[in-house]
Amino acid sequence: MSLLDIRHVSKIYGELRALDDVSLKVEQGEWVAIMGPSGSGKSTMMNIIGCMDKPTKGEVILDGTDIARESSKRLTDIRRDKIGLIFQQFHMVNYLTAVENVMVSQYYHSMPDEAEALEALDRVGLRERARHLPSQLSGGEQQRVCVARALINHPEIILADEPTGNLDETNENIVLDLFRQLHNEGTTLIVVTHDPEVADAAQRTIVLEHGRLVREVINEHFGE
Amino acid sequence: MSKRRMFLRMITASLLRRRSRMLIALLSIAIGATILAGLVTVYVDVPRQMAAQFRSYGANMILMPAEGHSLTPAEAEAAEALIPADQLVGAAPYRYVYLNMVSRQQTFAAAGTDFEQVQRTSPYFKVEGAYPSSPRQVLIGKTVADTVGARLNGVMELTWFPPAEEEDPQADADTFEIRPGMTLSGQADGYGMSDEGSTKQPVYVVLTVGEDGTIASLTVDTSGETEAIGGRCGSEDFTAQFIGKPVGGDSRLMLGRDIDGISGATVTSTAVVQAVNHVVPVEEGAAPRIPRTINFTVAGILETGGEEDDYIYMSLDDMAAITGEPDTLDLVELSVSAAQENLERYTEAVTASGHATARLVKRVTKSETAVLGKLQALVFLVTLVTLVLTMVSVSTTMMAVVAERRKEIGLRKALGASDGAIRSEFLGEGLFLGALGGILGSVMGFVFAQVVSMNVFGSDIRFNFWLVPITVAVSMAVAALSCLLPVRRAVAIDPALVLKGE
Repeated sequence: MSLLDIRHVSKIYGELRALDDVSLKVEQGEWVAIMGPSGSGKSTMMNIIGCMDKPTKGEVILDGTDIARESSKRLTDIRRDKIGLIFQQFHMVNYLTAVENVMVSQYYHSMPDEAEALEALDRVGLRERARHLPSQLSGGEQQRVCVARALINHPEIILADEPTGNLDETNENIVLDLFRQLHNEGTTLIVVTHDPEVADAAQRTIVLEHGRLVREVINEHFGE
Repeated sequence: MSKRRMFLRMITASLLRRRSRMLIALLSIAIGATILAGLVTVYVDVPRQMAAQFRSYGANMILMPAEGHSLTPAEAEAAEALIPADQLVGAAPYRYVYLNMVSRQQTFAAAGTDFEQVQRTSPYFKVEGAYPSSPRQVLIGKTVADTVGARLNGVMELTWFPPAEEEDPQADADTFEIRPGMTLSGQADGYGMSDEGSTKQPVYVVLTVGEDGTIASLTVDTSGETEAIGGRCGSEDFTAQFIGKPVGGDSRLMLGRDIDGISGATVTSTAVVQAVNHVVPVEEGAAPRIPRTINFTVAGILETGGEEDDYIYMSLDDMAAITGEPDTLDLVELSVSAAQENLERYTEAVTASGHATARLVKRVTKSETAVLGKLQALVFLVTLVTLVLTMVSVSTTMMAVVAERRKEIGLRKALGASDGAIRSEFLGEGLFLGALGGILGSVMGFVFAQVVSMNVFGSDIRFNFWLVPITVAVSMAVAALSCLLPVRRAVAIDPALVLKGE
């Protein structure tokens, strides 16, 4: 059984079909990129996979549960337990230090553990910057904190929305390297991007246009 | 690290690292708490303050002689003992007589009293100079001072003429029976000379009644007279003419018919005859009443704008010295710090004891209660309005905080925060602010109340320690209430917003 199984999902806002009968399967440990121009339905797709929105039609089976049928309270629980989110604008709590930001994720999930949070920061190479506030960190550093935050609770899926959209090339490579490590450790990655280079890093790329899944590309050079 | 510690860490970080915004919320709570604590302090302290204030408008209870008795210091003391000592602020005894300033031919009302007590029962007395502190000193009213042109430290010659007919109009020559051996006294206006010309001078006579009901002896006091003229009326030559003459009843002596006047002192001679014709019995065993003159130093000039300005005040000892009547009081003014019901109770108890007749100065005490009630109602209303305004202010600030933190709240929800977690975080911040604001407010409120009290009542205020926990609790409650709406808004934030661009 696939980790994520999206079946004939549509999201309709009045006349607009943000998603139109999309089906997609993502296997455990897979690294999938979702591409498409703006307005293609990427964000809607991301919201639905991230348990922040529900489809108008269709089923979204995540780890055996149809999240399209769950209450928003249950969706919060599922998101907390199974999804690690990374955003284009990083989104850190600006009055908390790097390590505290990681701990916030632990706090909502289970128990804050500073040692573990520091370890996660160490993993993204920011152990030395743990006590810095977001305003004292560069964009690349902030995004690495967000990666640490996303993986701290060992989620089933790491869902990243344009994770390198606000980063320079150096930092983009650092983040992509982190993704590669995560992938090698068996983490499932879904990365929404419009950057072909980022998409190329994935095993498989699906392309959305006008809410429809128009193309699926397997990266044959993956892992080389 | 426990969840609770992380919770506190997040809240304190939010408050400490986002200072400017939180300071505004804290400030509004603190100001609200300040006014709350301040007004409640004033509210609680007002009865005490007002009671003290009203006391300064004079005594609120008066002791007068009990029916059929005179009021002596001992009786007054016994009556005062019936009022709890801690509520008796002051008890000023008064003895009223008329004193003459002979040289100016002025009569003034004079009061003997205890100046230490007067300062307690009449704190509103404004004295230029000082209260009399040693014998033979007087405090004179402004009117008296203006009338006679008296100055501070100046000398005032005051004379007491024992009242005869004035004191007891019933005791007229016509209404008492002449008995052998009785002593009678009388007075009439004679004639005197001074630097400023002729003056009317009282002539005082004391006579005794012989076995046959006629005059047996006569003494004439002409101390106010000019020695060489009227003074001669005191001589044996003149007074001898009265021996054996009838006295009392319908008998009237006439100058020229019954008595030969002294030439050149006709006025005084006439006065002596008049005085004899209007004698009154002198109490048995009592010394004949002879006018007394004492020189006083003006220690202070009193100005109240009231009738006190017409009086001359002296110590009870001086009053006894000039009148020769110690242990006589006309009334005692009491200042009692008690509620109306208690005042009435004390009044009844004193009157029932028979030591004195007590009376309340009703107007002042009644208005005291009425004004107090109104003032407390006003303070209560202002407090209520303040609380509502504080709530609006805190609510608005928290609303702005929520708006400002939409992204953060969205992020927290995206990270898996339940509605309950968001709610408790914001309420936690609110309660923390409330507690901090409450503590600040308690302190600043006391300062505020102190300033109000100093300005309005001119006195210190008491610090009520129990007010601190109450202020903190109310501030926290107000903060929590104020946060209800903002929190609801925070909970409604869609986590998906963090995924949308900018």
